[in-house]
Amino acid sequence: MSSSPSSAPTIQVCHDCGGGAPVDAHFCPQCTKILSIGRHGDYFSFMGLPRRLALDPAELEQRFRTLSRQFHPDYFYNATPAERRASLERSSYLNDAYRTLKQPIARVEYLLQLEGFAPAESGNKVPPALLEEVFALNEELDEIRDLRASGAPADEWKGRLENARGPIERKRDAHEAGLQELSARWDALLEARAGIVERRPVLDALRERVLERNYINNLLAGIERELTQ
Amino acid sequence: MSRVVGIDLGTTNSLVAYVKDAVPVVIRDRGGDALLPSIVSAGQDGTIYVGREAQRRLLTDAAHTVYSVKRFMGKGLDDVKDEATLLPFRVSGESGGVVRIGLGEREFTPPEISAFILRELKRRAEAFFAEQGEVDNEVDRAVITVPAYFNDAQRTATRDAGRIAGLDVMRIINEPTAASLAYGLDKRHAGLIAVYDFGGGTFDISILRVEDGVFQVLATGGDTHLGGDDIDLLLMHRVLAQVGWQQSAERVQEIRKAVIQAKWDLSEAETTTLNGAPFSRADFESLIRPIVDRTLEPCRQALADAALDASQIDEVVLVGGSTRIPLVRRLVGELFGRTPHSELNPDEVVALGAAVQADILVSGSREMLLLDVTPLSLGIETLGGVVSKIIVRNSTIPATGSEMFTTGADSQTAVDIHVLQGERELVSDNRSLARFKLRGIPPMPAGLPRVQVQFQIDANGILSVTAHELRTDIEQTIEVKPSYGLTDEEVERMLLESFEHAEADFAARLLIEARNEAESVMAATEKSLRSPDFPAIAHELPPGQQQRIESALVDLKGVMASADRELIHEKTHVLNEATRHLAELMMNRSVQAALSGRNVNDL
Repeated sequence: MSSSPSSAPTIQVCHDCGGGAPVDAHFCPQCTKILSIGRHGDYFSFMGLPRRLALDPAELEQRFRTLSRQFHPDYFYNATPAERRASLERSSYLNDAYRTLKQPIARVEYLLQLEGFAPAESGNKVPPALLEEVFALNEELDEIRDLRASGAPADEWKGRLENARGPIERKRDAHEAGLQELSARWDALLEARAGIVERRPVLDALRERVLERNYINNLLAGIERELTQ
Repeated sequence: MSRVVGIDLGTTNSLVAYVKDAVPVVIRDRGGDALLPSIVSAGQDGTIYVGREAQRRLLTDAAHTVYSVKRFMGKGLDDVKDEATLLPFRVSGESGGVVRIGLGEREFTPPEISAFILRELKRRAEAFFAEQGEVDNEVDRAVITVPAYFNDAQRTATRDAGRIAGLDVMRIINEPTAASLAYGLDKRHAGLIAVYDFGGGTFDISILRVEDGVFQVLATGGDTHLGGDDIDLLLMHRVLAQVGWQQSAERVQEIRKAVIQAKWDLSEAETTTLNGAPFSRADFESLIRPIVDRTLEPCRQALADAALDASQIDEVVLVGGSTRIPLVRRLVGELFGRTPHSELNPDEVVALGAAVQADILVSGSREMLLLDVTPLSLGIETLGGVVSKIIVRNSTIPATGSEMFTTGADSQTAVDIHVLQGERELVSDNRSLARFKLRGIPPMPAGLPRVQVQFQIDANGILSVTAHELRTDIEQTIEVKPSYGLTDEEVERMLLESFEHAEADFAARLLIEARNEAESVMAATEKSLRSPDFPAIAHELPPGQQQRIESALVDLKGVMASADRELIHEKTHVLNEATRHLAELMMNRSVQAALSGRNVNDL
């Protein structure tokens, strides 16, 4: 069963000699000039990687260095303006790809976007899985604010704030584990060349986890802000 | 073919270097000086003096002498008002605009002042290549270094300075990264390196991973307003509090010179004198401790940004004159748990690295590659004065980011965009880089246009912006008005003006060269006369020779202030002749000492 999106381009054209090149090629197979980046694949294919979520950091670094050595602007200083521009574009894209794929969460978010499951703007809606914790936290925060307003010593309300962080942090840790488990399932499906029917539930679950995770981080950042007031 | 060089445009001193047979070498002036004091002075007749001569004029005509101009690069008047009160030169400008510095009758922007320094280095390099018998000795291309923590405006101002000096600035690179490049030549090591760069006016920390010849910066941090200057100021306050604050500008400069000497002394000795009283290293250290402590927080932040622990760092490299201070070495050693490296001269290592980078660019050598990062996040103003980050700090450059804009009213054809740099949430807490109007949006109902604005940070760390409307595929024109910079037209005009003044500067520089030569002969003579070996040698001199030397020395000193170049030449020649025999005797003695394997002082 084929699973690659039909709209993805597979061929690009060399602006220098007019020849065709595979979409993930960096240099023209005919004239060897660096290709401008008008049409290209995605961060994974650009770096010659499958869309796996488990990524060996050492391999990513190695690929990043190798590709940097191929098209960094330093090596095109004496080249034509078109080649210099292509080298700048390709280096920029490489750096953006490396930065995104290096971080596990950014990598998941990017994959979701590629697969057409980009998390919508969540607004302030509380993810259902977090309702209980958020409710408890808000109650506690209200009490702490009252306490502070009534002029209670800082040690007292700050201590309570610190404690309020506990359940949220535990939730976050549980989430990390959940994300890893889902990531492994995605990689296995990819390996088995599974179709969209099997992929969809995993991608849906990943999207859910990412939204919850962002929400948790916002909660923790909120507590941090209260603490520094 | 014309030559390329690497330039370290420093707060206190500037240097120029080039690569000879794959080894970077600092270019010295005739007197053997590698350091060009970053000081510019204007004479009564408008003549511009640069370097040692300008440094001398600081003691005689402080009001027309500019130093530490690097601190003003890319700044607005509002940024520097407080500091300007302590400086002898006149600082002005429009509120919200570029700083202007008064020098005699004329007013200059900081890039123009810096251009005088760059032009002097360019001349020094050209004279050197000419002496080497190079057919084409013109120097028209250079790599110039900046503190890693310089923002876009400061980098652009540095590039403008290069252009005004008639240089094609091939690349702007970061000082700590340049230093690591120079170190990388000696040892082909792999590992994690921290470069601690504490100079005259700025502080930088960069954490790098070196592998397969790729020097990859992982994180950088710093303070573009923290350096040896701050230590000097602290000591000056101490002295002025003792002698009274009402002093002439020249007297203040004498005090500045004395405190700098005391600072230097205490890097070697346990005690010295300042303002006639003993001044111990312990006193000095407790005084400057808060300044040195301010460098440690950016170090911890950079480590955290690189997700590293101090103990994981394999090597620590020290750069910048202020790292000669023992307290700095001690605290940096404690922070990283290891003794920092300082094999290379901390004053020269940045220029050497810049020369290496220049050589990489023109030679096509792929042995080494430098991958740097942007030190500050780039963002745009959104509703409510909040910054939306587009490219986060410590992203490897070149980097891109884009943001989608739309219109708020029907048939709106332009959108205002405000670009900022910094880490804070609110617009008012960040550095304004530029404001521009996105024009030419096709008239459509509100919210319908989809304008993608693309931000590109190039390998110099400098921003450019392009935009296009996706529905109609129309490219937008963008006029970027730099908040604290010069327009292309202004740079162009300044370049032309500098040619007009070139003639007048020529006679002045011949005089300066004569004075510099005289200066170095006098210094060598005085050093010989003060040498512990001198009494032993003196009796080997012909009778009366010592007196002849001393009177030639006095004669030359007497004409130093004169504007008569020939007279200075003549007196220099007399002194040179008088000391010839003495110089030979000194030379023989040190050769003998070296041959017998003993220290000269033991003889």
